[in-house]
Amino acid sequence: MNSKPVERKGTMRRRVLAAAAVSALMAGVLTSVGGTAANAASSKPQRGGTLFLLEHNPKLDHIDPNRIYTGRDLDFMNSFVTRTLVAYRPVPGAAGTLLAPDLATNTGIPSNDAKVWKFILRPGTTFEDGHAITCADVAYGTSRSFATDLITDGPTYALQWLDIPKDSNGDSIYKGPYKSDPVGQAAYDKAVTCSKNNRIITFNLNTSVADFNYFATYGAISPVQKSKDNGDQYDVRPQSTGPYKILSNTKQALILVRNSKWKQATDKVRTPYPDRVELRFGLDEQVIDQLILNNSIPGAVNFDAPLPSNLTKFFDASTGEPLPSMKGRALNVSDPYARYYAFNLKKMPCLEVREALYYSRDAKANLDYAGGPLFAGRYATGVISPLLATDFAPTKVAGPGSADFMPSGNVDKAKALLEQAKTVCPAEYKHATQDGIVIDVRQGKTLQDTIPINTQAWARAGIKVSFNIIKSGYYPTVMNPAKQSDLSIAGWGADWANASTVLPQLFIDNGGFDLSQNTADPTYPAFAKAVAVAMKTTNRQDQAKMWKALDVAAMKRFWVLPTIFGKTQLVWGSAVGGGFFWVPQGEPAYGKMWVK
Amino acid sequence: MIGYVTRRLLFTAVILLLVSMAVYAIFTFLPFDPAALTCGKNCRPALIEQNRIRLGYDKSIYVQYWYFLRGIFVGRSYGTGGAAFVCGAPSFGYSFRQNQCVTSLLTQALPVTLSLAVGALIFWLVIGVGLGVLAARFKGRWPDTSSSAFVLIGTSLPTFVTGLILLVFVKIKWNLIPFTLDTYTSIFDNPLEFLKIFILPWITLAVAFAAIYTRFTRATVLETLSEDYIRTARAKGLSEKVVLRKHTLRAALAPITTLAGLDFAGLLGGAILTETIFNLPGLGRLALSSVTDFDLPIVVATTLFAAGIVVIMNLIVDLLYAVIDPRVRIA
Repeated sequence: MNSKPVERKGTMRRRVLAAAAVSALMAGVLTSVGGTAANAASSKPQRGGTLFLLEHNPKLDHIDPNRIYTGRDLDFMNSFVTRTLVAYRPVPGAAGTLLAPDLATNTGIPSNDAKVWKFILRPGTTFEDGHAITCADVAYGTSRSFATDLITDGPTYALQWLDIPKDSNGDSIYKGPYKSDPVGQAAYDKAVTCSKNNRIITFNLNTSVADFNYFATYGAISPVQKSKDNGDQYDVRPQSTGPYKILSNTKQALILVRNSKWKQATDKVRTPYPDRVELRFGLDEQVIDQLILNNSIPGAVNFDAPLPSNLTKFFDASTGEPLPSMKGRALNVSDPYARYYAFNLKKMPCLEVREALYYSRDAKANLDYAGGPLFAGRYATGVISPLLATDFAPTKVAGPGSADFMPSGNVDKAKALLEQAKTVCPAEYKHATQDGIVIDVRQGKTLQDTIPINTQAWARAGIKVSFNIIKSGYYPTVMNPAKQSDLSIAGWGADWANASTVLPQLFIDNGGFDLSQNTADPTYPAFAKAVAVAMKTTNRQDQAKMWKALDVAAMKRFWVLPTIFGKTQLVWGSAVGGGFFWVPQGEPAYGKMWVK
Repeated sequence: MIGYVTRRLLFTAVILLLVSMAVYAIFTFLPFDPAALTCGKNCRPALIEQNRIRLGYDKSIYVQYWYFLRGIFVGRSYGTGGAAFVCGAPSFGYSFRQNQCVTSLLTQALPVTLSLAVGALIFWLVIGVGLGVLAARFKGRWPDTSSSAFVLIGTSLPTFVTGLILLVFVKIKWNLIPFTLDTYTSIFDNPLEFLKIFILPWITLAVAFAAIYTRFTRATVLETLSEDYIRTARAKGLSEKVVLRKHTLRAALAPITTLAGLDFAGLLGGAILTETIFNLPGLGRLALSSVTDFDLPIVVATTLFAAGIVVIMNLIVDLLYAVIDPRVRIA
């Protein structure tokens, strides 16, 4: 699953959507992202030195390859430590979304209508202890994701797609490698097979998945040595297969040094420049900004984004471009996430009330509060981000381009819809106007400002709201149908350049992030059927048309209230070279940075 | 003396047991489901129940508490099959957020907090007591009024403001002390680096505490100076220096020691703001992040540790009384 809180830069001071686990991946063409290559060409790459990454949070969510699911952490670990079967090309622009062989010699060979995928392993690759990487290691690594009690938070595509029987609850009968279960293990061993020479791994899927090889860019199907696996504690010190290995992982820093067993000849993707990479944890956000502004540590990168209150010290307030002092070391770019409020249709089945909520919300006040279009992003039109250029089109149902959209809210339309609701669904009308709608929100620094903005905006149409502020375990809470309120704030970024990692996840019952609980909606059966067809469509252009239509279909039923397509800002010191926005991860390509 | 210490140690153990029961009960009855918090985003009711059993949260609170207590003395094992492991004694539990035994996290954080607290204590005692004595000795004159100004500033500035100002200006803008990303180095490994790391946090804490101690010392010394035995000492012809050093300060030190002991214990429990601003991975930051993450085992352990420190410091202060003030007899 791939999710993240709706507030990122701007609306909240926290830049990292830490607990929310997200991956990010974006899209085909970088039409809307400016300045992807800030200083890639400003000097020649140099080897040596130490690259410092300055992080506000006390640790990364995860570094276990099976558990990482945020674009930034994937970018970091996969650039330095974890090699995957297939990788994105670390180059600026749209070319960065193209796949390149990594541990495999190819980008995957599909057969049987893309139900079977083969990867031939590259010879000469090893773990950091010199143990040669084999098919058995990849198969074992993949199996770990099935231990959902221990190996949490990672992508669940392996559980969904591998051809392993399901139990009565719809869960895989295989429960991972830590439990002794011959039946489950046999089923797994049938779904994931190795050639006799232990060099070819085959994944047998239960459905056609035309883009399964994009999933192979995740550590969730990367090699793990069984003898080195210590369950959830592997998250503290995973073995390296990449150019760097972990020297230490403490409360202060994650320190990487060169992995002497890694050979450049076996790796066409990575170009490890610094001798050492230090990810420093727990620094105050204000301190990080000051360090970058003063260039106190020229070889440092802000691993988060600058504080919203400091943005104009880095960027021109009227153009959003880096100030002269930050030229070549700052980026202000669109991020891969669509933010929204998910309507819980089991509690809010009335379309008119959902629409009234959408139309009476003051989108402009929220966007301005978050930094305005220059820094916070733009009004969302659906759940497919514009960075998924192939699959994106404005829905013309919500946001700019739709008939009744008004940035500050179309209160008259909202009132008219509520009038209809009074007769069509009186119970929901009463709930919205008298009892009050309850909205799940994550505890955050800006809540005290945004709550009154939204409460007052909805009150203009006569809608009463209250907020269920969740201090900890936001997603585990709202994803529990018994605990979810009427609306839940959320966000989503595609796992790779295909809306196949957006619409099914958000709106299909077993998609993994169906906060809308929309299965009882009258249009759901047709929607689910159309999604199934789209998933099996291998012609990418035809498939894109289907995703666009499905985005429209979801919006017509207002299964979510879309808010913004976000932006992010990235800054670093003057001695850092090679900084550019890596589209697939929605972050700088850390692995291509060098220290001058 | 030995009997007294033994009795106090037994009493301390009982207090700690009661505190541990209270802490455990408080966190058990909070409206959070610890099992749900351990299973990440992909939580389904079945998985939560599976985790509840695996982690022992399905047991009664008495049994859970017993396991917790037993773990402190004999260690505790977690998980089954290929993912089984043991947190050795003294085990305060396992953090499923950090994927580490809590004891290991505490032992990593303790030296940092200890370094911070001891240095700050020395700073604020020297400055606070020194200024307080000066202010009392020269009551109404410039040392007194100057110390009053210091007190006003010190008590008005919250530690996060002092800390940020010092950090941004002294280290980042003026570069008076080179900024280092190293957040903890042992004094035994690199004393100079240790000093560079801790000098500003010490000053930050010392400014706040020394202000209080200046005022407190001044008042205590002035009160002591007005005692009959001081008048007697002066009448006997003792010099003012001897009166102050031998007769006044010794008497004034007892309440200051009590206060210092409790403040020191409080700091050992974690100077959250100072540790956060200066990025010191001590107990305060550990406690803060565990509260934010609702990492119950760490919250319980840090709370218990802080309570234990307060109780033990009380004992030490009581014993010190006998050394400082001969009138106090321990039996």
